[in-house]
Amino acid sequence: MLEIAQFGAGRIGQIHASNIAALKDARLRYVVDVNAEAAHKLAARHGAKAASEREALADREIGAVLIASSTDTHARLAIAAARAGKAIFCEKPIDLSLAKVDSCLREVEKAGVPMFVGFNRRFDPSFAALKRRLQAGEIGALEQVVITSRDPAPPPLAYVKVSGGMFRDMTIHDFDMARWLLGEEPVEVFAWGGSLVDRKIAAAGDIDSAMLVLRTACDRMCHINNSRRAAYGYDQRIEVFGAKGMLRAENRGETTVEHFSARGTVSDRPLDFFLERYAEAYRAEMSAFVSALHERTAMPVAARDGRQALVLAEAALQSLRKKQPVKLRP
Amino acid sequence: MHAENLAQRSDAKLVYVVDTKPEAARALAEPLGARQADAAQAFSDPNIDAVLIASSTGSHADLSIAAARAGKAIFCEKPVDLTLPKVDLCIKEVKKARVPMFVGFNRRFDPSFRALKERLDAGAIGKVEQVIITNRDPGLPELRFLATSGGLFLDFTIHDFDMARWLLGEEPVEVFARGAVLVDPRVKSEAGDIDTAMVLLRTASGRLCEIANSRRAVYGYDQRIEVLGAKGMLRAGNLAPTTVERFGAEGACADNPWPNFQTRYAAAYAAELSSFIRSVERGTRPEVGPQDSRQVLVLAEAALKSSRSGKPVKVRPRVRPLY
Repeated sequence: MLEIAQFGAGRIGQIHASNIAALKDARLRYVVDVNAEAAHKLAARHGAKAASEREALADREIGAVLIASSTDTHARLAIAAARAGKAIFCEKPIDLSLAKVDSCLREVEKAGVPMFVGFNRRFDPSFAALKRRLQAGEIGALEQVVITSRDPAPPPLAYVKVSGGMFRDMTIHDFDMARWLLGEEPVEVFAWGGSLVDRKIAAAGDIDSAMLVLRTACDRMCHINNSRRAAYGYDQRIEVFGAKGMLRAENRGETTVEHFSARGTVSDRPLDFFLERYAEAYRAEMSAFVSALHERTAMPVAARDGRQALVLAEAALQSLRKKQPVKLRP
Repeated sequence: MHAENLAQRSDAKLVYVVDTKPEAARALAEPLGARQADAAQAFSDPNIDAVLIASSTGSHADLSIAAARAGKAIFCEKPVDLTLPKVDLCIKEVKKARVPMFVGFNRRFDPSFRALKERLDAGAIGKVEQVIITNRDPGLPELRFLATSGGLFLDFTIHDFDMARWLLGEEPVEVFARGAVLVDPRVKSEAGDIDTAMVLLRTASGRLCEIANSRRAVYGYDQRIEVLGAKGMLRAGNLAPTTVERFGAEGACADNPWPNFQTRYAAAYAAELSSFIRSVERGTRPEVGPQDSRQVLVLAEAALKSSRSGKPVKVRPRVRPLY
């Protein structure tokens, strides 16, 4: 039985706690949160205990730490967990600064503990099946990847200001998908972006719309398109094109009911928002993390993946500012 | 295809067919009740109102100029020419002669793309923000053709540049293009061309467009358009010969998209001819003119330059009405 201490009792923390509760080979033992009441409430729901950081990390029974607190605490907690010899599940991103990510990764490596980064989309059943079939050679050699990733509505401005910008906050998921699907590291990033949705986002120093092209050393190409607002819902699609065909994963509605009327045919909007769209993915990633620890296999998404996605985000930001493509070392 | 579309019309008649191969001209003309002729004969016939140019690309501009001088209305297959000076010369002559000239960017006349554009113009999704164009050929053309085609951007992506201009509602001011040879290395070694590309366009107000190209999609002719706006999205997917789906133990299977441009755009070819004839009869401005052809050539040349330099290339839109 894997005993887990969880940091963060917010929205995503509640999802993770429920997913742990559903596993037979893991148990939530502590919940730590700056908001003691939230910690108590979540802990009580799952037969765990609210605790302090020190208490949780000092308990020798704890095998793994789950970090789902605010982004600025991820790296510090990961380092503390590593020093305490615990396995780490860290929500993305590890940190918004590459320097901080690197120092965190050094500590994790030194401690020799496994670390998983929560790029949940890899565990979405449709995207995972697409990747499996791609790897099985169904469409031959990969040539193009097209990723559509649009939020239903912009986040609050207060969040935009501390998010690290759209590329680090939102496109980071697409960078991870791109790396995962391309099968080789991008060596060049070109990004155009701006504010078409809400001028206040521009005033806050961020963008809300973007198009990017990534290129790998063998000239595989990937296009990412982003918007902070899709009036029709959370738009999450992937298309991979290869020598022997194409694989595509489309949006999913809550139901498959279609209404045919004199005015046309109407089906459900795509599932809105990420907690709903990726509910299965959150379950599957937790199960994958716990299984990897039990079976002592490599982490399916490693700390380095968290770093590389951030490297791409920073390159995209640089490209946007310089208005030129930015080269990366493979 | 154009000849057969003409033959089905009650408001137009095919009189002459001109080709460097007279036998080919005769073979096309006679079953449709027309005659083989040489260019001079066709241009000098006062009963001829319009000239349809569907010969090889290199002859388009010269024939257009000759037609303009003879006072004929012109339907010219895209592109007018692969070089800007020649296109400009052609525009000058057509302007001088004050004849209508239509350039065959057929995709604007595809019923689905047209409906998409009409709904976009009607405000169905508010202001345009992003356009995504997928254009993949079913298979590699002959290498000999590729070597003289002007290259992927000028020969193939040219249609997408036209769609992009048409849908963005503003002229692109910058182009970034990445090309590659992923389908067949001979495309580079024997034809000096590329077979795969991704292109980004940007307008002055920040609207963005992405174009994905390949010379080979094993599942058919992949022709899709998606437009994202403030109030929603419009999408036109591929069309297939039938709507039959087979559900078996191994999964569900539908028809592939139409296999080539002749089948996919059959309705578009008929509709563009209608549009041309209507504009000649009513004396209205043709829906797509040589200025449009000029502007897409500017974009194609910018894409070529960008793919070679690896840097985005700025373009200055210069689209003036012909008359």
